[in-house]
Amino acid sequence: MSDYVSMWKDLGMDLESHDLLCQVLPTAVGDVFLTQENRPKGMDFWDLVISEVHGIRPKELIEEQKKGRKVFGTFCVYVPDEVILAANGIVTGLCGGSQFWVPGGEAVLPKSTCPLIKASVGARLGRTCPFFRIADMYVGETTCDGKKKAYEILGEDVPMYIMDVPQMKREKDILKWKDEIAEFAKKVEDFTGNAITPEKLGEAIHIVNEKRRALARVYNCRKNACLPISGRDALLMMQISFFDDPVRCAQMCNKLADELEKRIADGVSVVPAGTKRILVTGTPLAVPNWKLHNIIETSGAAVVCEEMCTGTRYFENLVDETKTTLDEQFLALSQRYMKTNCACFTPNTGRIDDILRMVREYQADGVIDCSLKFCCLYDTEKYSVSRALKEAGVPVLSLETDYTDTDAEQLRTRIGAFIELLNG
Amino acid sequence: MSKYYIGIDIGSTCAKTVILGKDERVLLRLLQPTGWSSVDTAEAIRRQLAEEGFPIEEGTVAATGYGRVSVPYADKRVTEITCHGKGACWVYGAADLTVIDIGGQDTKIIQVQKGAVADFLMNDKCSAGTGRFLEIMANTLAVRPEELCRLAARGGGASISSMCTVFAESEVISLIGRGEKRENIAFAVVDSIVKKVASQAGRLCQGSAALCLTGGLCEYPYLRQSLSQALGHPVQTAADGRYAGALGAALSARAMESPS
Amino acid sequence: MAEERLRYYILFANYEQGLALHDLLAEAGIPNRIAPAPRAIQGKLSCGMSLLLEPEAVEDARRCIAEHQAEYVDIVPLAGQIHARRDRYC
Repeated sequence: MSDYVSMWKDLGMDLESHDLLCQVLPTAVGDVFLTQENRPKGMDFWDLVISEVHGIRPKELIEEQKKGRKVFGTFCVYVPDEVILAANGIVTGLCGGSQFWVPGGEAVLPKSTCPLIKASVGARLGRTCPFFRIADMYVGETTCDGKKKAYEILGEDVPMYIMDVPQMKREKDILKWKDEIAEFAKKVEDFTGNAITPEKLGEAIHIVNEKRRALARVYNCRKNACLPISGRDALLMMQISFFDDPVRCAQMCNKLADELEKRIADGVSVVPAGTKRILVTGTPLAVPNWKLHNIIETSGAAVVCEEMCTGTRYFENLVDETKTTLDEQFLALSQRYMKTNCACFTPNTGRIDDILRMVREYQADGVIDCSLKFCCLYDTEKYSVSRALKEAGVPVLSLETDYTDTDAEQLRTRIGAFIELLNG
Repeated sequence: MSKYYIGIDIGSTCAKTVILGKDERVLLRLLQPTGWSSVDTAEAIRRQLAEEGFPIEEGTVAATGYGRVSVPYADKRVTEITCHGKGACWVYGAADLTVIDIGGQDTKIIQVQKGAVADFLMNDKCSAGTGRFLEIMANTLAVRPEELCRLAARGGGASISSMCTVFAESEVISLIGRGEKRENIAFAVVDSIVKKVASQAGRLCQGSAALCLTGGLCEYPYLRQSLSQALGHPVQTAADGRYAGALGAALSARAMESPS
Repeated sequence: MAEERLRYYILFANYEQGLALHDLLAEAGIPNRIAPAPRAIQGKLSCGMSLLLEPEAVEDARRCIAEHQAEYVDIVPLAGQIHARRDRYC
């Protein structure tokens, strides 16, 4: 029996305000997802999860907390889930993707802060997100100035741990990140009361690798000329994977991939042949941020890949599973995570290489490079990204947007013109 | 088969309609204010076309501009970027050019190569460097926009530093208060638009392609001169520049029949 | 352009009921989709999940429910919920 209202009340949430959020979500889900025909049957799982986004998973987390497990809320794909899992902890993503939370964030942050940060802070302070209420500890990181300072405000009434992400990728930076991971492991052991052994860490590394492999399988299906899944559906799957149990996530993604592979074999595509294929690159699209994908896919093109934290940056590269001591494992973790090409690093030419590679792998006709407003890092990198793509003869559209609906018509004009350009 | 091709460009300020004959001759040009409802404007255009002897039923209709979704009888909707690109090629008789369209609510820089749009830039949520900016400043100076541009040609010396229309307007008001000559203030207004447009255009028009102005501001010689100076490259204008979007739409309507 | 098509939502006390009926309907070949329950018709139910039916499928769905005595709370018609280019996000 789901009595979420009493659960939300017990979590100290602002029920009245939360109800307003519950009113807008079904409309957006209907418009973005239920307008699509011929969706994979496997999407049922994610349709259910998004329908009950503040119900099913929060309830599971609370049940686990009753058994003594700790929940860690994270904001970045650089925070190693493996370490938390090895201490029998649970990881949940916390990034806010709704305009609903932005005004709450703006009450304490400069307006010229990116909407993801404003929404995250607003979700916490407004007490309208169960995940922010449930998490026993927040784990932040130093990937941008906005987040760094916001964590100081976020962490005022909840245990907050910050990992210091290097800014460069030299050998000594990889060693430094390894030390950060080792230190974080100690913190997690203390907080959970569970020791991290090489066996447990090895198991956790395997679990997360399996999840990455499953996500990659779904993405591999998107490389095919016969496109078996829309960008919107793939994005939803990706967004929810930050909140789900990693073993179940891998199971559901593998099940979906089975279906997609069958669709490819049967020649079942969600778009007519010749539909232009778009690679979307840039800043993350946290749930429920579906504006960009919806506009692209209702303007006659299809999104075939996201070079984003909510995309390839989350699952590409595996951790070496052959290491048997903690020291070696921490290094293996550091080596894997430091392969992720975030714009917070300098130089960051690896990201350009990634984008050019993905254009080929996913057979993209064009690239839409989109950053959240006030994200100085990704915004600045647009220059190098678009130059490299133009040199390679790949059409590129650079965009900047936030979580509001107000620029939808302007985005439709730009994206529409870009697709007209691709169609020649 | 349709007898003619109708291009309708519903912009934020004006609605432009062009009818292109099978022989590529322009058979009709219509210009009207968009007013507050593009749906009503579209209906008024439909009626007027019938009165002029060009019922929409006998032609193929393509709509563009921000009001393109409000033309229920359009056979096709195309963005104003594609239309201005195509239309400019037709108006200027060139296949490679950089189009600068200073519109009512946005400014577009469109790079056209071999007759097709290759790249484009649009200003973001801000009215600096748009026709609206000019209109508001003209209002403050109690002149019509074309008069403001004529005045500007005789002025100099003053400047407006603010990019925000609201703040720029208060700068204009304080210049008026200080007793600055009207032509100098007009100069400052045009200078502000030109600088903004030139910095935007500078990102795209580095090649040797011809620079062309489209949109309503095409008809202001001083603006063209001033823009040419700022870009260090002559900017062309043409009588039909204002209709480039509508012409592009009409050409798109034609392309529906004979894909070439 | 707003899509005013009427659709039907089957509401539940919990998602377990909803998933059970989703499977029953699927077995019977009755098209239905998992959808968030629109807040306007959700009333005091806190279950976020509903099943979305096109009008043509409602009678078949009712028969299937009766046949299996499946648990549900209500079937409610509602228009204008699904519109691809509305551009109202959350």
